[in-house]
Amino acid sequence: MPPAVEGSASASQPMVARQAGTVPPAMAEAERTSAAPQAVTRLGREVPAAVAHVWARSGGPLRLGAGAPAPVGMVRLTHNDTTGLAVPVWPDGVTPSLLEEHQVAPMPVERAGEARRVLAACLKCCWTDLAADPWPGVAVPAEQVLDTYRALIGRSDDLMRNWAVGALRRLHDSSWIVLSDGVVRLGPRCALWPVESFAQLKELVRRLPEPERDELTVVADEDLVTGTPAAEPGGLVEGGEAEFDDLLSSYDERRRAELVGAYMVLEHAAEPVQEARFAALRDPAMRHTLGEMLGRRGRTLIQQHERWTSGYDDATAAEAARGEGGLGESERAVLTLVLVHSVAIPRAEGALPEDTWLSPFPTPVDELRRHTQLPIGELESALRALRHAGLLGQVKAGEEAGGYVPGPQFHRLTPAARRRLQEELILAAGPHTPLAGAVRARRSAS
Amino acid sequence: MPEQPLTLDAALSEEAVLSTYRRMFAALARDSGAVVDDPALVDIAETLFGAFAEAGEEWLTHEQMRHVCRAYPADQFDNRLRVLKGLGAVREVFPKPHQLRYRASFTSVVGLMFIRRMMDDGGQSEMHRLLALEDLNVADPRTTMEEARQSAANLARAFRLWALELITLTTGTIEELREQAPKLWGTEEIARRAQSLHGTILTRWPDLDRTCTDLRAAIYSYSDASRRAAGRLADSAGTTRNLTLLPTETWRTFSQTASRERLAAVLDGFVFDAPAPWHDPAAIARAVDEAPRPVPAQPTPPRSDLPDPGPADSLDGPADAVVQRLTEVAESLLAGAARIRLSDAVGADWSSVRRLLADLTSIDLRPELPYRLTWSDELSVDPDREPAWLSHGFLERTS
Repeated sequence: MPPAVEGSASASQPMVARQAGTVPPAMAEAERTSAAPQAVTRLGREVPAAVAHVWARSGGPLRLGAGAPAPVGMVRLTHNDTTGLAVPVWPDGVTPSLLEEHQVAPMPVERAGEARRVLAACLKCCWTDLAADPWPGVAVPAEQVLDTYRALIGRSDDLMRNWAVGALRRLHDSSWIVLSDGVVRLGPRCALWPVESFAQLKELVRRLPEPERDELTVVADEDLVTGTPAAEPGGLVEGGEAEFDDLLSSYDERRRAELVGAYMVLEHAAEPVQEARFAALRDPAMRHTLGEMLGRRGRTLIQQHERWTSGYDDATAAEAARGEGGLGESERAVLTLVLVHSVAIPRAEGALPEDTWLSPFPTPVDELRRHTQLPIGELESALRALRHAGLLGQVKAGEEAGGYVPGPQFHRLTPAARRRLQEELILAAGPHTPLAGAVRARRSAS
Repeated sequence: MPEQPLTLDAALSEEAVLSTYRRMFAALARDSGAVVDDPALVDIAETLFGAFAEAGEEWLTHEQMRHVCRAYPADQFDNRLRVLKGLGAVREVFPKPHQLRYRASFTSVVGLMFIRRMMDDGGQSEMHRLLALEDLNVADPRTTMEEARQSAANLARAFRLWALELITLTTGTIEELREQAPKLWGTEEIARRAQSLHGTILTRWPDLDRTCTDLRAAIYSYSDASRRAAGRLADSAGTTRNLTLLPTETWRTFSQTASRERLAAVLDGFVFDAPAPWHDPAAIARAVDEAPRPVPAQPTPPRSDLPDPGPADSLDGPADAVVQRLTEVAESLLAGAARIRLSDAVGADWSSVRRLLADLTSIDLRPELPYRLTWSDELSVDPDREPAWLSHGFLERTS
């Protein structure tokens, strides 16, 4: 997972400009001079906003060069040196908590309670000036956050600490915090909390217990010396209007709310949703508008019988994938192994009747550990990352049984992507079979 | 006919053959039983026609016919021959009594060839030929407008029925659709030819626009139906079904031997979502409220310091204990006297008086105890006192 964070990952983050013709020459100039060498070659062309949105969804917030504007539909989080981050925003100021109102389950969050308590501890430490917005806040040593967390749950054993460190890492991977060299800062996603909710957050921060001081100073000084980055990033939240007004303005308030609700549900629900439950999916004209809204973000509607979800539009995804992929090599390798064991083999044995990439047959962890060419450490961290992203689901059954199945993200593949996945697997597993020959012939013909 | 175990596949293909025959001759049949119901019967006819072709001008006698069909039971052969003769497919060489040599009808042979072809592609190639012929016909200067109208109307009807069949297939089972799938291939070509024919007719006889509109509608409905049927077929071919085409062992070998690079290459170019859970402020506050608090050491409930013999049950106890208790009650009331008035012994609390009276009655009823209870007829009533009325009596020691 390459989260868009400061530090080593920054050079690989894509740089984005508005669609051709909308970039003022001065800014384009600024981009060219300030961007890292890799980013320049990548910036050789200007990227449509839809592609930028695909990058943001698949790789986390986008890094922007100095003065470079955020793509349409994204908020620009500007640092003091005028570089910045771009994070997509949602229409009409809603957030994914809208799913709760519709009683639709969002993507499951691993150890959600713990992650949120650790996030609360981060907020307590980093949001020192309650008169200002939470983001960007200040950078604090990770030990201070851990102490605050300890005071919050009233435990100080090693297990608690390990769990808290795991939660910090997951929060970092999903851009809620930035964790580098033992220093914690609030991440770009914290800038997406609506202003109305600040009062609630302030109240929360006030009632969290203060950590015990004496323990803190010993570690903090050390960390502050080694860990604090040379320059505080500073921060300014700019813009951030969703780009759907021209599509939505022709609808009355009720329909507009239905469209926005259905959009959020399609984009963030864990599973496809019933057509009958959403007016915007039942009505063909509104569904068409939904399709257009999704299209602007490089997404498309995906139908499964009477249910709908959204996925990456094939053409936009192909363009976006020409850059670096979102998943690392070992993660892709482990995902392929699970697809072979949970889908291809049951399918070849005739045990899997449904034509889908989801499967009830778990790949035993033991099979992955013992009968593959992957080193165990790499395997474990890849499994963790894939689970966290909803690409793998963990099936627990007894002590040793159970394993991994393809996760809910596989609902989101378009038919073309599903077909391509089938072909790629066949090409990889049986490159000399007539079937692979047929696939290659068809591809070269088209 | 040699007995062979009938496989499911064989049965299905035979049934398909017969159904085509039945459909082809349905227009001519007198009743539904008039068409053969055993594929062997068709084979007899084919065998016979083959033999006739080889025999040439020698024709065939009844015995020769029986000989070439020796593989089939005699009664089946006789039955077929009777029908074929009756319908004129096999005729005497000369129409004379006691004719022994027979010849086959050219029409029947051609018919059978036609049937076989119809069976292969459901009449698609016939439709091609028919369209090609009609195309020539309408271009022919001798063709009249009436003939063209007839031709267009016939084609429209054929296309309509064909479209209906496809629609039924599309809504039917996928297995049936897959079986009949070859009928769908090349439908674009047929529709194109039909449209060109339609164009020719309309250009030459503009008066036929009404008939042509019908034809056009029929062609469109046919194209649409075939597109939908093909679409359903493509959908059913699915996006993972081809995985069955590699054996399990190939998959296992791949997963066990492939390098990380080779495994990862499968997912090159696929875009997946990065983890992006949403932590709503309300949810964060809730999580903090639900934080597992350290559990305080549970205080033990208070207990008496005295040794506890556990619950004692007076009823199950030894009889002595009861007697002992009753003696104690009586002695404590008597307090050394030989006789006391009950009105002095009872207090004002009815619930304890009640218990006391029960004990006294028990004492009185136990002959082994030296106490008796005697009641007098005297009764005192005082509404202000508790109890409000009191029977007078004595408890006395008898020994």
